[in-house]
Amino acid sequence: MTSELSAVAKRLDHAIQSATATHQLPADQQVDAATGYAIQAMGVELRQQRGERIVGVKLGLTSRAKMEQVGVDEVTWGRLTDAMRREEGGTLVRADFIHPRAEPEIAFVLGRRLTGDVSLAEAALAIEAVAPAIEIIDSRYENFKFSLSDVVADNSSSAAFFIGGYARPDTDIANLGMVLSINRRPREVGSSAAILGHPLRSLVAAARMTARAGHVLEPGDIVLAGAATAAVPLASGMQVEAEVQNLGRVRFDVR
Amino acid sequence: MADLIRKTTETLISAARDRLPIAPLAADFGDRADLDTAYEIQDEVTKEGILRGRRPVGRKIGLTSLAVQAQMGVDQPDYGMLFADMEYADGASIPADLLIQPKVEAEIAFVLGQDLANEDVTIAQLIGAIDYALPAIEIVDSRIVDWKIGIFDTIADNASSGLYVLGSRPVKLADFDVRLCGMVTEQAGQAVSFGVGAACMGNPLISSLWLARRMAQVGRPLCRGDVILSGALGPMVAARPGDTFRVSINGLGEVNTHFAEGNDT
Repeated sequence: MTSELSAVAKRLDHAIQSATATHQLPADQQVDAATGYAIQAMGVELRQQRGERIVGVKLGLTSRAKMEQVGVDEVTWGRLTDAMRREEGGTLVRADFIHPRAEPEIAFVLGRRLTGDVSLAEAALAIEAVAPAIEIIDSRYENFKFSLSDVVADNSSSAAFFIGGYARPDTDIANLGMVLSINRRPREVGSSAAILGHPLRSLVAAARMTARAGHVLEPGDIVLAGAATAAVPLASGMQVEAEVQNLGRVRFDVR
Repeated sequence: MADLIRKTTETLISAARDRLPIAPLAADFGDRADLDTAYEIQDEVTKEGILRGRRPVGRKIGLTSLAVQAQMGVDQPDYGMLFADMEYADGASIPADLLIQPKVEAEIAFVLGQDLANEDVTIAQLIGAIDYALPAIEIVDSRIVDWKIGIFDTIADNASSGLYVLGSRPVKLADFDVRLCGMVTEQAGQAVSFGVGAACMGNPLISSLWLARRMAQVGRPLCRGDVILSGALGPMVAARPGDTFRVSINGLGEVNTHFAEGNDT
């Protein structure tokens, strides 16, 4: 069993490195979500063996619309590594990815350890800073199609991320207007309230779900709280910018 | 042509009165189903309303989302009249027998402190003329069966307007972020629609400037005291009897409305 899971992790890792899509687990070989997370951990270990370092986590399926789309009632999470971080204002190379999409998000940087069942108040106290962010998701599966366990095994589709300047941790983030612009024209619009009703709930979920897998959120860790709008497919030549009310903007070019 | 406009005006007025939706209107007008004719019909309905004692108190702007404009095949928004009898108080119940197929939109309302008479009114003049803003719920409705509207139908039908509800705490333009303010609409306690000021033509002041110029051009300029419903900040939501809606706009506050189950409110 372990070798089969490891084979899936290697196949997904190869998809990342070669920027070519791979197939989902066949219907008769589908696994449960916990097994999906085990595959994810194996895949991230392969990255660590190449020298990558874990710098935080991302939350996925944080909107009701997306949960309904995939047919689940819980968020997912994935691990962020330093190799996935891109410089704000810099470029993203389209050819490094399979079918990348951009989502406007809110990022937290933790100032304290946060793990297990925590309250909203404890989560708020653990925040060192908040920032506008863009996550690049890039499902390693053909046609961006997957089951819950498929996407969890695939590190919740996480591929890269950009983080803007930090704002104070006590900034009210409940209902911040968010605009994702392509070539300076608004493409997707929404509110941070679309992230589980309040982005802080994502942080609570992150502490709880990562603890289940024995992963602890440490000071300095980044937590990407989840998308506030639909994801926009990226093409070469695009200028991508996310603006978040009271937090500022984050941008990059696609080459 | 005048007869057809007359007949269509009467059809729209009786459809609203009897709450009996009608077939789309454009087909009757063939190749004359253009925007000018549609606004002519809207004007006739307005005049008829004024003759019957309805009091105009402002305008609504529709089709302010670029995506919706593309769907409708137009490159501009549209407008309709607001009358005093369309206004409901924050939190009040709306009787079930008033509307046909209501939907709820979250908007920013601007209330003018000065007239805007010039056809070339500037953004600076508009900003100077806005006395204050309020969070607003626009309850749109269509007299056309199943909302099967094209651009001609909705303009003729007063831009599919129904009722509106304003919040109760005025906020100065300087005191909130009109472009990036977040919006969330809750229906029966569930967040169902999200948006931002920029969803309305990039900035609700841009749609309002279009309206101010347009109204001066057609000889019915915006006046001191007029309410401008500037356009939706997020997707509209169909209302059901018994529904309660709460719209929260960051920096502007909240506004609530309730749809009664029956007619005894």
